[in-house]
Amino acid sequence: MNAKKHPYGILSVLLIILVMIAFISLGIGAVYTSPVEVFTNLIGKSQSNHFILFNYRIPRMLLAVIVGASLAVSGAILQGILKNPLASPDVIGVTKGSGLFAVAVLIIFPGASMVALPFSAFLGAAVIAIALMLFSYTQSTKTHSLALIGVALGAICQAGIQYFMIKFPDNVNTTLLWLTGSLWGRGWNEMWFLIPCLILIPLIIIFISKLDILNLGDEMAVGLGERIKYVRYTLLSISVILTGASVAVVGSIGFIGLISPHIGRRLVGSRSKFLLPVSALIGALFLLLADTVGRGVVPPIEIPSGIVTAIIGAPYFLYLLRREQKNK
Amino acid sequence: MNKNIKKQRARRYIIGFISVFLLIAGIFIHVSVGSSSIGITDVIKALFQPDNSKQTTVIQTLRLPRAVLAALIGASLAVAGALMQAITRNSLASPQVFGVNAGASLAIVVATILFPELHSKTTVYFAFLGSALGGITVYLFAAGGKVTHIKLALAGMAVHLFLSSLTQGVIVLNEDATDVLYWLVGSINGKNWSHVLILLPWSVFGLLAAFIMGRSISILVLGENMATGLGEKVQWIRLVSGVIVIILAGSSVAVAGPIGFIGLMVPHIARKLVGGDYQRILPFSALLGGILLIYADILSRFIAYPFESPVGIVTALIGAPFFLYLARKGRNIKQ
Amino acid sequence: MKTGRKLKIVSVMAILSILLVLAGCGAKQDSTDKESSNNQKVAVKHELGTTKVPENPKRIVVLELSFVDALHGLGIKPVGIADDNKKDMIEQLVNGKMKYTSVGTRQQPNLEVISSLKPDLIIADVQRHKAIYKDLQQIAPTIELNSRESTYEENIDAFKTIAKATGKDKKAEERLNKHEETIAELKKEVKEENGQTILPAVVRDTSFQAHTSASYDGGFLENLGFKDAVQSKEAYAEMNLEQLSDINPDILILANNEGKLLTDEWKSNPLWKNLKAVKNHKVFVVDRNLWTRFRGVVSSEAIGKDTVKLLHDQQK
Repeated sequence: MNAKKHPYGILSVLLIILVMIAFISLGIGAVYTSPVEVFTNLIGKSQSNHFILFNYRIPRMLLAVIVGASLAVSGAILQGILKNPLASPDVIGVTKGSGLFAVAVLIIFPGASMVALPFSAFLGAAVIAIALMLFSYTQSTKTHSLALIGVALGAICQAGIQYFMIKFPDNVNTTLLWLTGSLWGRGWNEMWFLIPCLILIPLIIIFISKLDILNLGDEMAVGLGERIKYVRYTLLSISVILTGASVAVVGSIGFIGLISPHIGRRLVGSRSKFLLPVSALIGALFLLLADTVGRGVVPPIEIPSGIVTAIIGAPYFLYLLRREQKNK
Repeated sequence: MNKNIKKQRARRYIIGFISVFLLIAGIFIHVSVGSSSIGITDVIKALFQPDNSKQTTVIQTLRLPRAVLAALIGASLAVAGALMQAITRNSLASPQVFGVNAGASLAIVVATILFPELHSKTTVYFAFLGSALGGITVYLFAAGGKVTHIKLALAGMAVHLFLSSLTQGVIVLNEDATDVLYWLVGSINGKNWSHVLILLPWSVFGLLAAFIMGRSISILVLGENMATGLGEKVQWIRLVSGVIVIILAGSSVAVAGPIGFIGLMVPHIARKLVGGDYQRILPFSALLGGILLIYADILSRFIAYPFESPVGIVTALIGAPFFLYLARKGRNIKQ
Repeated sequence: MKTGRKLKIVSVMAILSILLVLAGCGAKQDSTDKESSNNQKVAVKHELGTTKVPENPKRIVVLELSFVDALHGLGIKPVGIADDNKKDMIEQLVNGKMKYTSVGTRQQPNLEVISSLKPDLIIADVQRHKAIYKDLQQIAPTIELNSRESTYEENIDAFKTIAKATGKDKKAEERLNKHEETIAELKKEVKEENGQTILPAVVRDTSFQAHTSASYDGGFLENLGFKDAVQSKEAYAEMNLEQLSDINPDILILANNEGKLLTDEWKSNPLWKNLKAVKNHKVFVVDRNLWTRFRGVVSSEAIGKDTVKLLHDQQK
């Protein structure tokens, strides 16, 4: 396929599209700002919508880009480790684990400072990842069972979340809204939580050759002398950190980690060297678009981005499944 | 050899008797437990020597229909699950994993919002539509070609996620959140005879149809080639079973919301207890399903006592770890 | 060579993002500096601390309905209201047409719109809007009060705080005195029913939610001389028909949701028919907005008058 021959071209095109959409998204919201105004504000020549731009739109746009990229990369990593194209943090239970712990803290310690939330999200993601690794350890390290166990763990976390909502019905509204995933009310303060992502994503893009080795198949890779388990666990940890940070900031937004790597694969093939950065860009675009649409469709009401990603993501995912099916 | 078969048969009869006893005991306990306890003797009196006392009214109009409903829904969901596991040859199949529950749930929520005055009898049809769409979507993926457990579970999970978030979204954007939980989790609180009447024809029809299909299903499970060789029309069996599943699951969700995991757990337990013949598995699943849901509902009274909780929470809290157990067992589960 | 190029792209991206972050931090400083250039200020104590509010604020944004009620009682018009996009609900509250800008839902008010209104005071609900307190403070001095989970008494306290923040202490005092007179009169009118048990409840298609003595309407009704049929520390209690018939209140007030209702199914049940309230024709359907959403000095008087009218117009 032609596309696969020009990965750098694709990368550049995606980057340009991202910047364009980011720019446009800065203009969209309850208070419409024309692109010209946005530009003059950015270069400091005008103060007209300065407050809105710099306090709401810019941080929100950046958050969307970073979280979108993080979730996409996390999904790409998981799909590589588990050798399953259907894996992603939401389906494997990592997102749900984050959600469970965060919800537990939200409800049990309502007076807790805002810092407690991201920590519990991280903790939740980590716990699920550890559980996954533990379970796979006692079994044979079949990658297939790992995915399945992840789904089961996700189901347990979901049951736990619902239990909390029943036991503490006063908080149901806030909890549900948080769980649906949205960028409302997120700003510069939340940027701190994404620092690990800012560090990890460029790092992982540079050192991704390791992932390709995993793709060769366990037997061959062992033959090449790589310490498979070590690499796998490291990558899993990275995926967990990226997911945990993302959930901490936006709640549980789904389908980004699932779909972005797929689209990426169609564009540039399975070589992680290109797949990861392309997935990151696609994920960023996806979430940015979802957030912009959610904000701009019926102002001043905002549709949570999690719902928009689900509406766009799921049908596309099913379409992907069918294509996958046909290719078998 | 003969002795073994006799032993097995005796064992099955014993299990059968115990189950029926458990079911009836369950109904009694269910009726006696509630926001105020009613003694068992009083329950018996109310059932067989009804008078006009308040207690009798409570039992007859509120508690009894709820117990009956629990049994019916449990049976329906369990049989639906057993059918699904048979026709997809996948031990993880169930109305919930297949998005059938979530689809029905979404359809009802949308229907309730678009047509608020709709009577419950008519929302059942919406539920059928929704469960059909949900199930077909995932089934399309499962049909033909090699479907491993994981693919099914993941595909089903994705569909389930999608439908649930849509449902969540629709409800959250419409403000009243206490009802949301109900539609996401499933509950039989506050149901009465009118609900039983709505469900009854569909359940009975579905269950009977399933039992009749028992023999064909057993053969199908042996393997498609064998089945075709033995003269069974495989596609037709699959289609009819699919319709039965939609009827059983859809009607249950229409009345009580998406109660999960019953269809997943019960067929496995049934298989363990009575062997692999579907002519036995199906009726036994019905029995077991009823028992499971009744006792789960009894438990649900105690989560936030004295207030009631949705029974779906209990089935989820029991079922999810069971799901994990199944996942760990790997893919060598014989049908 | 190829890795070199990748590295360059990645580092450019990283530098860009870091630059943007820094720019944003700089911008944040800007807006907070603007704050302190105001002259006279009043220190107002609220649920999340103390805020310096400029004297006699002219542009007020309120994020809950009880605050609209409070401002209405003080004769002030807010410039922005979180009205869930229901303009007619607000018009019902203030009994007339009013010009204002909607800032979105109470659940998730739109910060952009709020800031574009350039308010000098924001009044928010401590339960719903605790998480965005800092963001609101960035726009304008913000006070957070009890609204959603407030009792009748807490609501009156909030009213006084709002009066202080808007410099209308005297007007508040007058209004509260008038309020007490109105309440005393209403109390006299329901003297016959004094001591009877009353149960207000919100009915939906799958739930019957009783409002206990700890709820706003429950507490207010007790103030009028009734006794709430459910005495509890929790404001709401979900009930089934069995529990309702055990409690058996003298008067039943139903605030019905639109669409199907749980009570429709109960009506054919003998347990319902045997309820004291049903037998004595003391079951009343009331407007849900007024009884459970508005909450405030003005609205409570409307609730009271409603109650009197329902009890004395025996037109069943």
